[in-house]
Amino acid sequence: MQEDERLSKVQIVLTEEESNAINEMFGEYLADSEAKDIILLNKSGELIAKSGDITSDAAVMVSALAAGVFSATNELARLLGEKEFTITFHQGQETNIHISLITPTVLLAIIFDNRAPIGAIRFWAKKIGNSVKEIIKKAETRSKKQEAPKGIGQDIGNEIDNLF
Amino acid sequence: MSTFNFARKEISFKIVYYGPALSGKTTSLRFIYGKLPEKVKGGFTSIATETERTLFFDFLPLELGSIKGFKIRLSLYTVPGQFIYKLTRKSVLRSTDGIIFVADSQRRKKEENIYSYNDMLENLDDFGESLDKIPLVFQYNKRDMEDIMSVEEMQEMLNKENKYPYFETVALQGIGVLEALKMMTKLVVSKI
Repeated sequence: MQEDERLSKVQIVLTEEESNAINEMFGEYLADSEAKDIILLNKSGELIAKSGDITSDAAVMVSALAAGVFSATNELARLLGEKEFTITFHQGQETNIHISLITPTVLLAIIFDNRAPIGAIRFWAKKIGNSVKEIIKKAETRSKKQEAPKGIGQDIGNEIDNLF
Repeated sequence: MSTFNFARKEISFKIVYYGPALSGKTTSLRFIYGKLPEKVKGGFTSIATETERTLFFDFLPLELGSIKGFKIRLSLYTVPGQFIYKLTRKSVLRSTDGIIFVADSQRRKKEENIYSYNDMLENLDDFGESLDKIPLVFQYNKRDMEDIMSVEEMQEMLNKENKYPYFETVALQGIGVLEALKMMTKLVVSKI
């Protein structure tokens, strides 16, 4: 089985406790690291968690673009004979964003202002990534069949029309 | 790769609009953006060239109503159709939950439709995925144009065994576009 085959089927089922634990952790790190925002997303570009002043709408956009950038960068890596680039960093006049792969399917994006030196950004990205990794690994490996909400997909014929 | 979040009572799905260049993928997304009420849609993001051709992708997040207590979120993407962006298409297609293939009905576009469809299958295969697991819906687009293939010809070209639902669409006027999206939503939600 190709590695991608295994990875692309992973589904994340985050429990309420896990979600709360991540939010609490991010809140603490936000204060310690002086980051502006911390965003957790998957390779599909879906927002998993966020902390900081960034609005939910903006975080959804950042997630889609960060995952897109990351995925495109990986095609670049492959062309260059590298399996994967695990970190992408963009530096601007006022703001920097550091995107890192923390599990095979989940990315961590941290936004800093320009006061933070690159070394500090890398340090915090690694520290935060390691802390959240364990929770995410559990959520990733949780069996879809056993713990995904049951029956949601059954008998939904008319309900779809009401969604839009 | 759908994501469940029990704390927020949400399920998210990624849906990709695939198809040859200029077949109406971005137009379909723009119609959906224009049609749906403010409370449902997020911002429309397009990474395009100066001539409005999609360079990377278009992105539209939707936050729909709830099914059995879970809010349904859709992230709609388009791929760049132009031949040279093969690797970009592949990167956008990664981890998708469903595909809406926007085919161009014009007879002169036949080869391009076939190329794009095969390109999609190859990319899925590279991820170890296939249409056995990922739902597919066809939009046979540009039904208002002259010299178009009949629906039977379109089916023969892309959907021989009639395995996948199809909709005749005119994306510029929005005809059939929401119907295709509703069908896709039903298919991805049913797979849970």
